[in-house]
Amino acid sequence: MELLPQALVDGIMLGAIYIIIAIAFSLVYGVMHVIDFAVGEWIMLGAFGGYYLFQWTRIEPLLLLPAVFVVFAAIGYPLQPLIHRVLSGRRGNPLLMGLVFTFGLSLMFRGLAQTFFGFYSLSIPSRFSNGSFFFQNGGLSVTISSVRLTGLVYALVITGILNYLLKHTDFGLGVRALAQNRDAAGLMGVNNKRTSAYVYAIYVGISAMTGVLIGMILSLSAKMGPDYTTFAFFVVVLAGMGYLAGVPAAAFLLGIIQSFFLIYLDPGYTLLAVFVLLYTILLVSPRGLFGKGV
Amino acid sequence: MPEPILEVENLTKNFGGLTAVNEVSFRVHPREIVGLIGPNGAGKTTLFNVVSGYYAPSRGKVLFHGKDISGKPPYVLAGRGIGRTFQVVKPFPGLSVLENIIIASFLRHPKRVRAEEHAWKVLEFTELADRAHQSAASLTLAGRKRLEIGKALALEPTFLLLDEVVAGLNPTEVDHTIELILKLRDQGITILIVEHIMRVIMRISDRLVVLNFGQKIAEGPPEEVAKDPGVVEAYLGVEKA
Amino acid sequence: MKDRRLSGHLLVFAAMLLIPAVVHDTFLLRVFTEAVMWIGLAVTFDVLAGYTGYLNFGHSAFFGIGAYITAILMVRAGWHFAPAAALGGAAAGLGALIAGFPTLRLRGAYFAIATWALARAIQQGVLMMDITGGPDGMRLPALLSPGFFYYIMLGVVGVTFFAYWFLLERAPFGLKLKAVREDEQGAEALGLNPTKLKIQAFVLSAVPTGIIGGVFAYWVTFIDPASTLGDLVSDQALVMVVFGGMGTLTGPVIGAVLIFTFKTVFWAYLSDYEVLYLIILGGVIAASVVFLPDGVLGVLPQRRKGVEDHA
Repeated sequence: MELLPQALVDGIMLGAIYIIIAIAFSLVYGVMHVIDFAVGEWIMLGAFGGYYLFQWTRIEPLLLLPAVFVVFAAIGYPLQPLIHRVLSGRRGNPLLMGLVFTFGLSLMFRGLAQTFFGFYSLSIPSRFSNGSFFFQNGGLSVTISSVRLTGLVYALVITGILNYLLKHTDFGLGVRALAQNRDAAGLMGVNNKRTSAYVYAIYVGISAMTGVLIGMILSLSAKMGPDYTTFAFFVVVLAGMGYLAGVPAAAFLLGIIQSFFLIYLDPGYTLLAVFVLLYTILLVSPRGLFGKGV
Repeated sequence: MPEPILEVENLTKNFGGLTAVNEVSFRVHPREIVGLIGPNGAGKTTLFNVVSGYYAPSRGKVLFHGKDISGKPPYVLAGRGIGRTFQVVKPFPGLSVLENIIIASFLRHPKRVRAEEHAWKVLEFTELADRAHQSAASLTLAGRKRLEIGKALALEPTFLLLDEVVAGLNPTEVDHTIELILKLRDQGITILIVEHIMRVIMRISDRLVVLNFGQKIAEGPPEEVAKDPGVVEAYLGVEKA
Repeated sequence: MKDRRLSGHLLVFAAMLLIPAVVHDTFLLRVFTEAVMWIGLAVTFDVLAGYTGYLNFGHSAFFGIGAYITAILMVRAGWHFAPAAALGGAAAGLGALIAGFPTLRLRGAYFAIATWALARAIQQGVLMMDITGGPDGMRLPALLSPGFFYYIMLGVVGVTFFAYWFLLERAPFGLKLKAVREDEQGAEALGLNPTKLKIQAFVLSAVPTGIIGGVFAYWVTFIDPASTLGDLVSDQALVMVVFGGMGTLTGPVIGAVLIFTFKTVFWAYLSDYEVLYLIILGGVIAASVVFLPDGVLGVLPQRRKGVEDHA
């Protein structure tokens, strides 16, 4: 049992990362009504972006985060009109078409990544990688690796920035109006297209930065994308679709499950366990852990 | 008085902290047309959604032919004889007008051939027969509202909930729809109707139920309700201003 | 009009029955068998995607369940092939029933990811289990009769196709599904129970998929998690349906034939570039959605009129 607190602490710090993934994912859904199947691939591409940027510059990867954000936001920005075109097409079910489109993108990204980055697992070295703090209280001891702690701090900073952006700026007001009601927002003078494009750019940028952190804390490989798409989806559904306040609890739960399987059981069963849990919760409470989704 | 067909008893519907419908009671008798009126946000559509099974009531109940139907899903209520239209019309846009009506006809005529025969009758009745093979999405607003009524009729309901079926139509189309509604009543269908256009609701309703802020503030024949000071203040006063 | 379309289908089917009489080359017959299999997988995918509006990104799960149940019953319990494959289909149907109940209440897009996650979870489970042989897969008793497998595959897919044709284009069921696809709330007001219809469609899609999986297992005599439960099965079914034209029975068949032909040629010459195939699939999916909203079927001019007439 002495590993129990360790599993909890590890899980919570990992969960903090998932909060960021899920919030960005929900933001895009709220504003653009597209479920981005490529979310995991953005994370993967971001991780490789960080990896190569580090190889090239040899600057501490944490300091490279803004650069990764800018690069990927610039990639995401021009994609939005294409997604918009798919969503406003004359086909019966635009939501599904958006999903099919991003699914196609995700296959391409994964294929390209495997071509250029190979099949091997890598990691991004940071000067925090080896450090750790050790706490002991009686028989219980917990090690906090500084790189995981960095992840937690990163999650708090990003949440803070997003919160400020959404609640205290004109841009945020436009985003919230758009998420509430597209037509009314248009009447209020919100530039629908430009706001959506910025939101998509921010989402891609944030997902890519998060990928760099995952590359530092865990590992990165060209095949990692689907796992993170599953996780993003898991957190959002578990929280209750559209219920952002439920995201942290769901994300922590996911992180804890993952570290438990890593420490006590076989990590190969993680996905299965995640799905069984998701299934059970949907069966009991279709609107998420708190019954507050839509 | 004959047995009421619909009894709404102390019905309350909350959404989180908001009470959309508050302790509302009224009855509808066979072959009546009852108008449900009130300013925007008075709870009319919410009430419709509870009666037709889209929401379960928070408190109180709804009786249909004396049986409690609160919380039963819409498709069960359709089977029991409750037809409804939606304020925001819900045609199946990718399907033809005929197919739209056939789908509704399956409820009473499970065989495809019989359902199609029945659908043609409904199309004749609602004067949509000449547009039967068009896609539902290609209809004008008036056509779509007519299709909405047609779909509800194809269910062969005994009780019909009409949600703003004339709003947005031009005067000729309005008269046309009024005629249709009166014809339905003459065929023995009981009707509960929500409508904003006062001249319509005054003309066709046998009785009015007035909601304001989720509460019933008046009930009675149109002429009486029109004179009720509370109603004038809450609704007609605002409307005329 | 409808009857003529049926006679057209029957004509194609009759022509396909004659293929083994004309084609004696074993390799070529193998290619035809696989083509028929993909037609089956595309058509079963479309029942849910095109007619009901729910994308099942985990189509491979049912194919794999069918394959593994058949293999386990034949290898470990000594069953005969036919009852084993039938049970494989039943197991796939049961899987759809169980998985569909909570997930079909989710909005369409979430259902898609849920089924995708389910397929991945099942694949992981099979990798870890002993009875399935884990990552080493399973070897089935070999039966070297290419003609036999061609006819079995064609039989299963043909029966499926004509059963679908009757249920979806003829019987009320198809229109009811379309009503749910177009507007779930509106459908409910007309006395339709959307959840029940969606689950029925899901099971209707899963059962033949499972049987096809069973035939596949016996035919290729070796299965492993990657070949039966891998993403590629679902991805290809999706691209065939989207490219061919969703919501029809003809579209997926055309899509399956075109994509499968491309795949065969690609693998014949470029089998070292497996990843390139993935990129092309992704590109075709994304481009179809943007440029061919009704698939190849939508650009065939005389067909389009037929659709308007009928749909």
